[in-house]
Amino acid sequence: MSPASLTRNRWPLAAAGGALAIYALFFASSYDQRILTLAGIYVIMVLGYQFIFGHAGALSLAQGAFFGVGAYVTGILASHYGTGFVLTFPLSIIAAATLALIVAVPVLRLASHYFALATLALSQLLLLIAVNWEPVTGGANGLPGVPPITIGDLQVARGLPLLLFVWGLAVVAMLIARWQLRPARAAAFTVMRDTPLAAPAFGIDPGLLRLRAFLLSAAFGGAAGALFVHTNRVVSPETLGFGIMITCLTMTVVGGRFGILGAVIGALLLTHLPEWFRSLDEYYLVAVGVLLLAMVVFAPDGLASFFKQLPSARAPEATRRQPAAIPRTSSAASELSILNITNLSKRYGGIQALDTVDLALGAGEIVGLIGPNGAGKTTLANIVTGIARADTGNIRSAGLDLARATPTAIARHGIARTFQTPQLPDGLTVREAVETAATNAGDTARDSLHAAAGAAARALATCDLSDIADTQCGTLPHGLRRRVEIARALAGGPRFLVLDEPAAGLAEPEQAEIVAILQTVADSGLAILVIDHNLEFLQPLATRLACLDAGRLIADGPRDEVLADDAVRTAYFGLVKPASTSGVTA
Amino acid sequence: MLGAQLALNAVALGAAYGLVAIGFVLVLNATTAVNFAHGESVVAGGFAAVALTSMLTMLLPAGSAIPGIILLPGVLALTALLGLAIAGLAYLPIRNRPPVSVFVTTIAFGIIVTNGLNAVFGAAPRAAPALFGTGTIEFLGVTASRQSLAIIATAMVLIGALAFVLQRTQLGRQFRACAQDPEMARALGIRLTRITLLAFALGTAFAGAAGLLLAHQFFVTPSDGAGLILKAYIAVVIGGWGSLRGATIGAMLIAFFEVGVASVSSQPLAEGLLYVAVLLVLLVRPDGIFGEPQQLRA
Repeated sequence: MSPASLTRNRWPLAAAGGALAIYALFFASSYDQRILTLAGIYVIMVLGYQFIFGHAGALSLAQGAFFGVGAYVTGILASHYGTGFVLTFPLSIIAAATLALIVAVPVLRLASHYFALATLALSQLLLLIAVNWEPVTGGANGLPGVPPITIGDLQVARGLPLLLFVWGLAVVAMLIARWQLRPARAAAFTVMRDTPLAAPAFGIDPGLLRLRAFLLSAAFGGAAGALFVHTNRVVSPETLGFGIMITCLTMTVVGGRFGILGAVIGALLLTHLPEWFRSLDEYYLVAVGVLLLAMVVFAPDGLASFFKQLPSARAPEATRRQPAAIPRTSSAASELSILNITNLSKRYGGIQALDTVDLALGAGEIVGLIGPNGAGKTTLANIVTGIARADTGNIRSAGLDLARATPTAIARHGIARTFQTPQLPDGLTVREAVETAATNAGDTARDSLHAAAGAAARALATCDLSDIADTQCGTLPHGLRRRVEIARALAGGPRFLVLDEPAAGLAEPEQAEIVAILQTVADSGLAILVIDHNLEFLQPLATRLACLDAGRLIADGPRDEVLADDAVRTAYFGLVKPASTSGVTA
Repeated sequence: MLGAQLALNAVALGAAYGLVAIGFVLVLNATTAVNFAHGESVVAGGFAAVALTSMLTMLLPAGSAIPGIILLPGVLALTALLGLAIAGLAYLPIRNRPPVSVFVTTIAFGIIVTNGLNAVFGAAPRAAPALFGTGTIEFLGVTASRQSLAIIATAMVLIGALAFVLQRTQLGRQFRACAQDPEMARALGIRLTRITLLAFALGTAFAGAAGLLLAHQFFVTPSDGAGLILKAYIAVVIGGWGSLRGATIGAMLIAFFEVGVASVSSQPLAEGLLYVAVLLVLLVRPDGIFGEPQQLRA
């Protein structure tokens, strides 16, 4: 599943590639060469589409539009003004990317079907313009007479030269895709796709990743469109039509949503299928539809996934738990408070979720936040980590105003969290999930990959997870998922940790393990806020408790005092308030 | 005078779009699936009418005119079958996968329908017969086209029948129960698969009926699907995600926009401005005008 963890069986592929190259160079007719050239163009387009459809997981129906924009920019400039390839090719790419940037504002933050339909609307709009703006676009007939590619005095002739030129650019596109999707980035995409709401808590900015994917898809699409026009020597509304979009989608689904191999297989197959199924005649496109449908139902990971070996079993590293392995961060020794919440309020409709809450935590301190259901505990955690916005109030942490910072900035500032329902990316291994946090969040964010791997390994060791580091997150039992969440929160070397019910659903021995891990971590200087109802879990862990009730902080102090407090007992245990405290004795 | 005629045309167009949008919402509510083959279902309804007409022409004595309305039961039945095929092949096998999978399979189904029709009927526009003959009638001093009035009447009968089923029958209650909470509905013994199949059959049949109503005046071409799904979708976004009444109102607004802009400029410009308007609406209200119920929770 995970693009980062694929190790492929390369020999048969190398042989197939070699055979294909020999066929293209020595045996292909000029017609075959044309088909192979088209395949190369589509490889570039599909590589681009994989960014947005595969890695970002968003169904864009605008890839055909970007292809068309590239095609028309090259077509119009070359046909009207005779502009050369050296200028038209970059301009085609820039035009497509610029269009993507413009529509990104209304379109990119849309989720799911909104995004799909908005990109479809964009495509239909561009098609209407191409057909109706005749003086410039040539209308329904398009513009003929696009010259061949010329660079300086060198003209790239049809046939083998053009084939090699296009595939040369396809290789460049592959290298760019590979560089853009280096393992850490690919893993960040997986986290964003599998757990979109949790991603910012680990320093992954979904908006930025999606924008990157969208711009790259547009740039690759524009490049492919430009090359297409030079191959066909005409530009027509067909380049903007839904047909090209469908071809690209089918290639990506058939070949695979991830990886160069998927793009190459999809492009080669779908450009040659019409030749192989000539007998189907006009029913050919029906067959393409059937193929697309069948692939999604029966082989959703595409043909490339059949060349994938099982992840090789890496020998588990012999790093058992080492005490205090987490490096001390920031001013751990000082008494300065790590988190300072003042006057925090938040209202959801008619419900006052938080009402003028004040809370401060110092280094090395573990505070248990208790309170009945709906008291505002998770709301507090969400506001501190930037997932929700406070109505009023301040949250300061070492110079940063958390109430106004983005979730990503907060994560990079060294504030980590776990979730009430574990938010683990099913498609990554435990190690990859933890490494993603180590590269994107906390103090190691700007360090080298090597440092991130080291931090991840230490966090895994602290949580006693080294043995299962290469297991897929999706296969983990509940108890381990909780521990992986903690390891991931620790990986960035945070100064402050928010745990939202870390022991929910755990058996007592598992709870005891979590307590031991958290105590080790707090000893190294972290401040920890633990949200939980479970006093059996909290009592050995937290020396200080704070209690929320209906959004108000009704108690904050040493554990035993808070538990003895009447207001807490009333709110928490539902005890009748003893008459003596209210002072209204009869 | 001219204004009244334009308004009548707009209402007729809106009624047909309304059927498309209602069909889309029926499927959406029963399954939460966005059916991208819905536009092609409208096209399929138009071609079903064209095919049934040529079959009837062969049976009937030469020269006898066929009123389009007698095709309605046949069109409804054929497109209901198409709906069952969409549900059985493109939705049920992957109903537990991420929504994007269903987007792609229904797009694939749309490709099959479009190109199947293209292979059988060719790419040229075809026309279905008028519902109750052509020409105009004088009505309250306004010259009204028979076809426009017939479209409005037919759509009202269909929508009325649907409202009756949804409001007054046990089946309708089950439908609404599934729309509100499919898990709970299943726990209460409602057979979800059967409701799903019914929703697809009914929703697609509504699209098919709209195809029959539109295919006289506006013709039908195999590649019309993309534009139609967009309009249905825009209507649903304007009217509030999942609201049948809202979808009908949204469809009317789109029709008035289209007829209005086209009357002072041109049809392509009207369509283009509609798409620009959608992008602008989404810029201001990313969850649609009335918002979609939030179901995500960290």
